[in-house]
Order: sequence, then structure tokens, then C-alpha cells
Amino acid sequence: MTAPAHTRSEPGRQPSPSRRVPNLGWTFLIPALIGVVALVYAPLAFTVVQSMKGPAGGFGGGEIFLGLDNYQQMLDDGTLTMLLKNSILWTVGVVLGQNLLGFACALLMNARWLGSGLLRAVLVLPWVLPGIVAALLWKFMYDPQLGLIGSVLQRGFGVDPNQVQFLASPSIALIAVIVAAIWKGFPFSFLIYLAALQTVDRDLIEAAVVDGGGRWTILRQVILPALKPVISLTVLLTSIFTFNYFDLIWVTTQGGPLDATHIFPTYIFQVGFGQFNFELAAAYGVVAFLLLTLLLIPYLRQVRREELTH
Amino acid sequence: MLGKPTTAGKIGQIVVALLIVAPIVWMFGLSLKPPGEPFANPANLWPNSPTFGNYASAVRPEFRTYFLNSSILSIVTVLVSVTLGLVGAYGLLHTKIRARLLLISALVAAQMVPAASIIIPLFTATKDLGLLDTRAALIGAYIALTLPVATVMQYTFLRRLPTEVFEAARVDGASTGRVLVSIVLPLSVPALIATSVWLTVVVWQEFLFALSFTTSPNMRTLPVGLNDFIGQYGIRYGELMATSIVMSVPVIGLFLLLQRYFVQGITAGAVKG
Repeated sequence: MTAPAHTRSEPGRQPSPSRRVPNLGWTFLIPALIGVVALVYAPLAFTVVQSMKGPAGGFGGGEIFLGLDNYQQMLDDGTLTMLLKNSILWTVGVVLGQNLLGFACALLMNARWLGSGLLRAVLVLPWVLPGIVAALLWKFMYDPQLGLIGSVLQRGFGVDPNQVQFLASPSIALIAVIVAAIWKGFPFSFLIYLAALQTVDRDLIEAAVVDGGGRWTILRQVILPALKPVISLTVLLTSIFTFNYFDLIWVTTQGGPLDATHIFPTYIFQVGFGQFNFELAAAYGVVAFLLLTLLLIPYLRQVRREELTH
Repeated sequence: MLGKPTTAGKIGQIVVALLIVAPIVWMFGLSLKPPGEPFANPANLWPNSPTFGNYASAVRPEFRTYFLNSSILSIVTVLVSVTLGLVGAYGLLHTKIRARLLLISALVAAQMVPAASIIIPLFTATKDLGLLDTRAALIGAYIALTLPVATVMQYTFLRRLPTEVFEAARVDGASTGRVLVSIVLPLSVPALIATSVWLTVVVWQEFLFALSFTTSPNMRTLPVGLNDFIGQYGIRYGELMATSIVMSVPVIGLFLLLQRYFVQGITAGAVKG
């Protein structure tokens, strides 16, 4: 599969006719590569090493070799199951929500008029807001007495907001943080889909209109097929971002109540910097990375394909 | 859906925009609430007697320190990562396709590695070097976070430059380095701007590393300072919201000013140009 693609992409495409001038590409790459290896890949390797150790105990500090004990522990005490369950619900919920909302907004906002520029800028605001500010904002939004959501429920539906402890109830907290994350993240999907909509072949749409196709038909038969590659790329990308999310959950719930909103980044932070068990935190870090590769591999495949057909 | 909107379409656009922005309007309203005015229960969208008083207290001395720290970290990180990234991206253009695919995959993977998966060794190394609670430690961590994306993002820009540009200069006998400085650099201005804005936004709001690597108030950054604020000042929400807005304005401003470049940069990888 690689070989034909390789020959296809060669002629005339690359600015590297290295026959006349020596190929200096690697010289230019060295500083960036040293930086990435030293600051990302080496630490990742050390995380694996450290995950097989444990604190030696006593006052001297130090570490002893434990093999896979840390991994055994997270299996035995159920935290791994808890984190897997929360991470899947969180990632699927946020990614579905933010891409559906982003796509719907892109369709809605695609029609241009005088107000478009301003309205688009307004829609992008949640995403441009610093993560910590959005997190604080939603912490207050969900406050049963002072928050805007409680107020809307009380005025609009006569619900006593004290009955709905959004962030304090283990069964609701995860949904509450998912909603906040969708609000924060959807403009990213919106911007990408809006840009992609501009590339849809207008002739195809006109043709569908001539054939008597309604909006739904145009969406299903022209727009969705044309945007399929962009959608799958965006879904993968937002899944990776969401899986790695820290600020919003840490600031609103700290992973609580009763671990109901803990995902890998928040749990690793708590174990490492709350309980100072760096080795166990490293083990969770390794598991988080392994899980991420499930998303990373299809994403890299897309990146490769895009590079070859560029 | 396409073309000119109907009146219903326009109203739909406005209603959706209002719903999305409502939390931010509410936050702005809270920032204008005089400290004495009691909280309405249920909450109102807007205070009864708005005042800008909270903004005066929002720029207290410690927040000036946080602001300075965040600015220094952003500037240094952007300078290092954007420069190394541009040179690296230019190098990538000159590699053979197989090596290039491998390198791009390695860079993209590095960009996606969960920060929480590398934070423990970075913390340990920082401690062993005696750099805990210094700006240098955070700069190292922030280069780790931004160098891969800076390289990949600028590469996707350079890749779009017409190849004739390079070849013409080459025929004239210019060296690879010479082409970078006198031809690629001037053409890369939009890429440099877009990448710098993106990295500034990333560093300006980074929370996990800043929370873990700094302890003294002198080294805290805006996001961590803001988070500490909740605990310290109890129920002074007006001030808290005013501070939040002061912190958000630089990144929102940067974005709105450079929106065009920025959107190009974000979508460069996902949408074919």
C-alpha cells in the first residue's frame, strides 16, 4: 500500500531536488528532534521505568523495584475499572456532543449576511476563554443557590434547585461536567466544519436542488459524504483532547463526588501530587498512554494518508 | 443552510448565539456587581447597580506578578518553540517521503501524549536539578507541550508554498540555509503569526504543570493564581469574575485580531487547501 503511494507522490511535488545541493534537511531538524526526544519521549520512557518501582519507605526516601505490583494494585482495588468507565463515558459524551453541536452550528451559520461575522465571533468565545476561567464559570453556573442554571430551572420549570445538586451528586456530576466541556469545546469543531462547508461543491448542491431534493436530502447525499474525511479527523482529534482534559474537572469537582468524575489526568495528579506516590501515578500514566494509542493509531493513519495525497 | 439566510434563519442564528454567550454575559454581570449587593436567589443575568469597582481590586499586586510570570513564560516559550519549529519544519520539507512520514508521525504522537503521562519524570528531573518552583522548569515543560505542534503546524504551511519558489532560488545557486532566511522566512509570516497565537493561547491557560511545578506566590501563573483565589477570598465572586475577565481579554483580543490566520492554522491539517 505504501509503495505505489510513494511513487505517486514523488514527481514534482517535493522541493528537494537534492542532486545539485547537498541535502541539509536533517541538520535543520536536529534541534527540534533533540527537544522532542529529551522533553517528551525520554520522560515517557522514564514513566514506564518508574511505574515498576515503589517508595522504599522510611525517612530516607528512595525507591525499590516492584515489578508489576502497581498495575496489580489498580486492578485489585477497582480504580482501573472506575477510571476506564468514567473516561469512556466522558470522552464519548463530550466528543459526540461537541461535534453534533459544532456541526449543527456550522450549518446554521453558513448562510452569510451582515451579522454573520459578529455572530461567528460570539460562538467562538467559549473556546477562546482560558480553560481555568471556563471551569470557574461553570462551577458557579451549577451552584444550586447562586447559579444561573438553578435559576433557569426554578423560574422556568418551578424546580427547587436545592434538590438538584449538580456537582455534588455522584449520579449527575459527570453529566454536568460533560455539558460544560461541550460548551467549552464545540467552537473548535464548529470552526473546522464551517471551513469545510466552504469546500463543498456548489454544483452538486444545485443539482440536488434541481432534482427536487429537500434540505435533508442535500445534507445526507451531498454534504455528509463530502465532509466525511474532515468529520472523522475532527472526531479523532477531539477525542484525544478530551481524553487528556484536566482543568475543567479538577477545578469543578476534583474528580469527586466519590470518584464519579475522575479521569486519568485528574487521578494521576491526585495520586502523584496529593498522595506523593509518584510510582503509582507513573503506572496510571502508562495506562493512560496505552489507551490513548487506541485513538492515536487511527489518527496517525489519517495524517499519513493526508501527507501522501497532499 | 447555504447562500443567503431567510428571516427565520437569521433569528435562529441570533438565538443560538445568545444561548451560547449567556454564561459569559452572566459572568460579566457578576464582575460588575458591587461587593455589598446581595446575591439574587434565584440568580439574575445582570446586577441592579453595576460598577467597575471590582476591576480596580482585580489588579492587586499579586496578580501583577502572576500576569508578569504568564507573560514571560508565553514569550520565551513562543520564541523558542516557533523558531525551532520553523527550522525543523523547513528541514522536514527536505527529507525523503519515508523518513518524513515517520518524523511527522513521531511529532504528532508527541503532541498527543497525555501531559499526565510525562509529568512525573519531568517533575522528578526538575527536583533533582534543583529547579522546582522556577520559571526555567516551566519553560522546559512548556517547550515539551508546544514544540511538536509548532513544528507540525508550520510544516503544513510550508508544504503549501509553491515549489517553484524553492527551485528558482536553488537554480540561482542559493544554499539551503540561504533559501530559508531570504525566501521561506518572509513567506512564512502568516504561519509564524498563527503558530505564535496558538502557542500563546496554550501557555497562557496551562494549568496542570503550573499547579505541580510552582509553590511560591512569586512563581504562580495566572491560571494557578486564579484557582488559589477561590480558596483565599471566600465569597468575593465579583472580584474573582473581574480577575477572570482581565485574564481572558489578552487571548480573546489576540484571537479576534488574528482570527483569519488562526482559523487557517487550525484547519490546515484537517481541511485540504
